Amino acid sequence: MKYIRKKINLENFTIRSIPKSVLIKNSEGKTVIDENNPKYYYGRIPEYKIDSEGNFKLNSFGQKIPNSIDVSLFITQKLDDMGIFTDNPYTAKTDTLSTKPQGFNSFTYGRLAGAPVEFYYKDNINITGYTDDSLLSQVKSYRKDVSGDDIYVPNLNTSDDTTNIFNGVISEDVEKTIYKIGANVNDINNTGIKYSTFKNKYTKKVDEFGKNTSYKTTIFETGNGGWNEFNTSLSATTKKEEYLGIVFKPEVDSAVFINRGIADIFERHALLSEIKTTNDIDTNRGGFIRI
Amino acid sequence: MATGNYGTIRPADVSINDVEIFYSYTPNRELITDVQLTPLDPAEVLIPASNPNNTNEIFGGLYTLKLPTNVFGAKGFFNIIIRPRQIRTTIQDCSVLIDNQDVKGIVFNINQIPLDLQNRFENGNLVGYRVEYLKEETGTGQDKIQNLFRIITSNNRALPVTQNQGNSNASVAYTFNDNSTSVFCTVSPSSAPSIKPNAIPFIGNPQQEVIITNTFFDPVMLEIEMVEFDDETLAYALFSNQTKSLEDGIYTIYNFGNQIYRQYNLYEVKDQFTGKPLFEVREQKFTIDPTKDFDDITDF
Repeated sequence: MKYIRKKINLENFTIRSIPKSVLIKNSEGKTVIDENNPKYYYGRIPEYKIDSEGNFKLNSFGQKIPNSIDVSLFITQKLDDMGIFTDNPYTAKTDTLSTKPQGFNSFTYGRLAGAPVEFYYKDNINITGYTDDSLLSQVKSYRKDVSGDDIYVPNLNTSDDTTNIFNGVISEDVEKTIYKIGANVNDINNTGIKYSTFKNKYTKKVDEFGKNTSYKTTIFETGNGGWNEFNTSLSATTKKEEYLGIVFKPEVDSAVFINRGIADIFERHALLSEIKTTNDIDTNRGGFIRI
Repeated sequence: MATGNYGTIRPADVSINDVEIFYSYTPNRELITDVQLTPLDPAEVLIPASNPNNTNEIFGGLYTLKLPTNVFGAKGFFNIIIRPRQIRTTIQDCSVLIDNQDVKGIVFNINQIPLDLQNRFENGNLVGYRVEYLKEETGTGQDKIQNLFRIITSNNRALPVTQNQGNSNASVAYTFNDNSTSVFCTVSPSSAPSIKPNAIPFIGNPQQEVIITNTFFDPVMLEIEMVEFDDETLAYALFSNQTKSLEDGIYTIYNFGNQIYRQYNLYEVKDQFTGKPLFEVREQKFTIDPTKDFDDITDF
């Protein structure tokens, strides 16, 4: 955080001009200021920029220009290294806790000695979103209808491991095909990812090469998210002191050629002799040696 | 590839859309009430300078803060905070990559992000963003988990896939898929400090609210003291033109542009019985007498 202190004099923005148009004669015949005249701004800072006659200055669109106090500042971005994190072996505390402390929260507690990994699990949650229809082909039947279109047969398991995994259509109607991928055959409803691919609804997208693509709109849904025994473990990691300030581990690149100077008449031949593979051509591209 | 220490400070070329500005005002330094921050629209008050050689190119670093006079035209202290824009959302899931089970990450639903910010969540665009966490439990006083943040090191659209774990167990992992509305982010540090070697690498929990902030520039705080006088105005009293009307005793000080800067009534206070002069008074006159225009007086 940069801290800048500035002192700005409001007098630089205060109007000191008195247009002739705001002058009137009072009952005694003396020239005074008509302070109710809208063009009278003496001693004030107007909201919009005005000229010396009290008229609003207009921009090229005919709009009033907001009056502002301008401050120049220089904004920077500071980049620093964070170091390399390294796994460390550790010995867990053997007397593990059996009950989770009331309101246990891994990030407020941080390390809790003796806490087993289960303390850090979180209940399953529902996840949903949109995707493409690329997985629909995995659940189609090998048969085709009379028009040659794919057939989707409810409850037909198309997975390679039909003993354990269910990939197949749950239901189909005129609007959409609902199917599961990766469900457990013994609990199809509560496992796997459920997809609903709409038959007549398409999503258009421009891919990274600027090409227009489209696919059938598909909604995915699963209730198996969260932290659990399959994606959570306790580990010890630390920063190696010698790597502080370094973002990558040192790598040795052998594609180094020492330039012996322009006087060497065999320089170019020597360089070429280093090129043995197509990768070497990349390395030597443009006559430069990458280090 | 760099293998040594390196770091740099570069002029920021951040877009106005990635900036937040707040200000507070106190008429003096003795105020004891809490600081009240008010937002300002960066699109209206922050103008980046253009490169003189190419007007379509941002110059970098140099910005002009145009403070509206209807807000900042008061004497006192204004604190202006310019900081990276924050995006608030909820972690959709926390999981691993299906093909890289040791790569943990947090997942966001791009559809929960405001429309004008969704492009920040395209592949790779969140790298370097900072994630801060809000407490999951309520009523603990402070909603934000203080002193805890993570930096996003990669983000890619990803699709959940199920991992069959046998015995009717299943879990979700993620596979990259550019057509998905879920975004899988890896964060760092996802490990504990060396003094707490077996603390778990906390990166967030599903359904936890987070604040995602870009790191495109270092926050700036300006303390602007609005004053009525400076060297220049004091110089008016010393060196600028002045008139003293002998008829009505109006003493006028002009600025260097010969505009009326201040007017005073000059008079004597005398003893009402003896007529003996007691005081010579110079009293500021707030109703300006326009007949004391310097150019009019000296136009003869």
